[in-house]
Amino acid sequence: MTLAAKSDGSHALRIAGVSFAHPIKLLVFTLVLSFPLASWAHVNSPDVYFDGYAGKYHLLVTITPPPVVPGIAEIQIRCATADVQQIKVLPLKMVGVAAELAPTPDVAERSQSDPHVFHGKLWIMTRGSWKIQIQAEGAKGAGELFVPLPAVSTYSGKMHAALGALLAVLGFVLVAGIVGIVGAAAREASLPSGHEPAAEERRRGYRREAIAVVLVLAAIVLGDRWWRADAATNARLNYKVPHLTAELRRGSLLDLRLANPNVSEVDRYGVVSADKLVLNDLVPDHGHLMHLFLVRMPDMQSFWHLHPRQTSEGNFAVDLPALAAGHYQIFADIVHHTGFPETQVGEIDLPALSGSALSGDDAGDPDLAPSATVSQLRNGDRMVWEHDSSPIKANVPVWFRFRVEDKDGRPATGMENYMGIAGHAAFISTDGKVFAHVHPAGSVSMAAEMMAEGAQHDMSAMQTAPPGPEVTFPYGFPHAGDYRIFVQIKRAGKIETASFSAHVN
Amino acid sequence: MNTAVGTLAPATSRKATAAGTPWTAWACTVASVSIAVGLYWDISWHMSIGRDTFWTPAHLLIQFGGLMTAMICGWTIFGATFRPGSQLRQNSVSIFGFRGPLGAFIAAWGGLAMVTSAPFDDWWHNAYGLDVKILSPPHVLLAIGIAGIVWGGLILTVAEMNRAEGARRIYLQRMMLLLGGFALLHSMVPRLEYTSRTFLHSASAYASLGIGVLLVLEAGARATGHRWARTIIAGIYSLFVLLMLWILPLFPATPKLGPVYQPITHMVPLPFPIMLIVPAFLLDLMWPRLNHFSRWQQSIIAGAVFMAVLIAVEWPTATFLNSPAARNWFFAPNNFPYFAQPDSPNVRYIFRQTETVAQFWSGMTVAFVSSMISLWIGIVFGEWLRRVKR
Repeated sequence: MTLAAKSDGSHALRIAGVSFAHPIKLLVFTLVLSFPLASWAHVNSPDVYFDGYAGKYHLLVTITPPPVVPGIAEIQIRCATADVQQIKVLPLKMVGVAAELAPTPDVAERSQSDPHVFHGKLWIMTRGSWKIQIQAEGAKGAGELFVPLPAVSTYSGKMHAALGALLAVLGFVLVAGIVGIVGAAAREASLPSGHEPAAEERRRGYRREAIAVVLVLAAIVLGDRWWRADAATNARLNYKVPHLTAELRRGSLLDLRLANPNVSEVDRYGVVSADKLVLNDLVPDHGHLMHLFLVRMPDMQSFWHLHPRQTSEGNFAVDLPALAAGHYQIFADIVHHTGFPETQVGEIDLPALSGSALSGDDAGDPDLAPSATVSQLRNGDRMVWEHDSSPIKANVPVWFRFRVEDKDGRPATGMENYMGIAGHAAFISTDGKVFAHVHPAGSVSMAAEMMAEGAQHDMSAMQTAPPGPEVTFPYGFPHAGDYRIFVQIKRAGKIETASFSAHVN
Repeated sequence: MNTAVGTLAPATSRKATAAGTPWTAWACTVASVSIAVGLYWDISWHMSIGRDTFWTPAHLLIQFGGLMTAMICGWTIFGATFRPGSQLRQNSVSIFGFRGPLGAFIAAWGGLAMVTSAPFDDWWHNAYGLDVKILSPPHVLLAIGIAGIVWGGLILTVAEMNRAEGARRIYLQRMMLLLGGFALLHSMVPRLEYTSRTFLHSASAYASLGIGVLLVLEAGARATGHRWARTIIAGIYSLFVLLMLWILPLFPATPKLGPVYQPITHMVPLPFPIMLIVPAFLLDLMWPRLNHFSRWQQSIIAGAVFMAVLIAVEWPTATFLNSPAARNWFFAPNNFPYFAQPDSPNVRYIFRQTETVAQFWSGMTVAFVSSMISLWIGIVFGEWLRRVKR
């Protein structure tokens, strides 16, 4: 796999020399961007990127969830090798009996322009936590892969003016037509053949038309109320990014109170959706119930990845390290028992703190100068972002590749897994409105991934082989602007943080 | 009143032939049947397969029915408007300068409503999700459009019937009964959500049946003047639903949407028909004794009898349908849509208990009162239908 510059200058992920970028993907992104963005696992970064293996086939999966649920998600699957003959895709609920009784899978369509790429549609019919089953068949036999997909409505439709005008014209014709029909029915429908209506019959026709006008107007008013009520219900059910409340107590102890603004669907029989979001069902992700990211704004030079402890339902606390005063943006990642991930956002003004010593998996840096390509690490090593000078485009999935070098410029040895994986990356826009916590396997929560695969929730026991000096993250920026990329790795028992700046066209 | 009832002896009816029957009546009948089959097939499709496109056979049948009626109406309106001396023009009404049979205008209006509902529904899906609810404003507009097509065809035919005499009239009367049966079928579609097996011990089911069923039955009876019109119309509804109940499961199907709670191997049919035929038959039987009453008195008496008998028959029928004895191909209550959850009342063969005592009795009051009002409207509408000649 390599990162390559496309002829148009953009960066595109390449697997086995095949470009990942695709015009259809761009179109889908463009369509999605025409809607107001919100998100669940991340903030304003709704697409799912996943890198994994279906049996012996290396696949890179990109899913664009529908902005409205029930709706149709788009899936693109890029195969690293050319030996995949057929791919089937199937959306399943993450938990419950429906996860076992599958509908007929769809055969993904192979791209005519690029035989490594398959496209499909996923009918996502309820809000909540889903997993996408991907079955690959080819020369190396069959293999299976599951990708978690949180699905919520994030959009309240606004009618385009042209469509509104068309419907208004048709509506006017229908209203006029029904009034005319009522008048004709009263005036002349019962007349013998060839007779013209008399004056009294004409008057009767006018009277009936007047009554029809009143009734039709009343029907329109009632219909309008009905429409508004449905729109209000839809708006109520739209996913809202939860805003937590943060408060500094007793020196450096930060208290966090989570919010739960999202109501659940209740059907006409009073049954609440199994995907109801509650705060007493959180499951550990990489061994922690919460991954808290603190970024000082607007310079973004103080960055922290901490792991608060749960004190009671919906309440967390963490001892802050020594950090400089400033206005901090908060992103708190949690995962529900259904595998549904959320990022709670908040902000707080903090004084300069002497703080506590970092421990466990907590890490960060109070003074991180961003770099375009090379970031100096605290232990004397450096991290290199392997990319060329061609501009990065929004909506193009990119493989972000970073190499750790020791003091002498050699590939670093003795790399360790950090919370079970080679590295963690946070992609944050400089205005703080976009946030994505990404792993080498992609943008999904690891707890949800394990759940989709049918494994245990707790990732603390996850052990993989020691990583090499390179760590990669598949991701696509949702829109143009300036971003900061924070990459965290572990070497010789110490967690190091690097900061890179990126401008996205 | 209602002097036509009972005037057509069976001996005369047997001589009726298709000779002289206008092709428009045939076409409207075919369109009505096509739309009904398409609608019931489409609902079954959604219960069995789940996912559909514009081009499913069920959708094509509905579109064929709408298109055919629209073409017929366009042709007749064109002919009546631009051929001043024609017989068609002599039997036409005038709307905004156009001339044509009233039924043609109604059906054309229905076609336009169906066309209007398409972009509206598409936008609705994009704004609020794919068919979140069956009853939505664009779906209601579509249903009104289909009703316009069906009733337009019926009024086109009734005008022909009212102008006809002898054997031709009798033949058209039979077509009217068929169209009445399909009008009842169409009118039962919006009620499906409220009259499923698990609701049949709730007042809401009978309230939904009280609103409108008698309107169709009575209008059909008055318009055709047939002694057993209500029984025949309800019989057509029952026979059609039974045929769909027995035929649809013969076709294999598998769900293409999740979550799938029920393993599906064949098309899931709609439930056993509501036992409308029993109170309809009773009304036919007793109607000669009501002839000397006023419209309101007829409505109150017959409306109450209809609803009381319907409840008396449907209540134990529903109990039977929930019992193991009914789980066979004939009654087929054990056909669940793929989305029926294992703990749902439908799958557990129990009745929903969502109404309070007060809600139950107020619902039953609505059922009886609406039944009476529907009957009164049916009488007025039916008598107007008997006079329609254009």
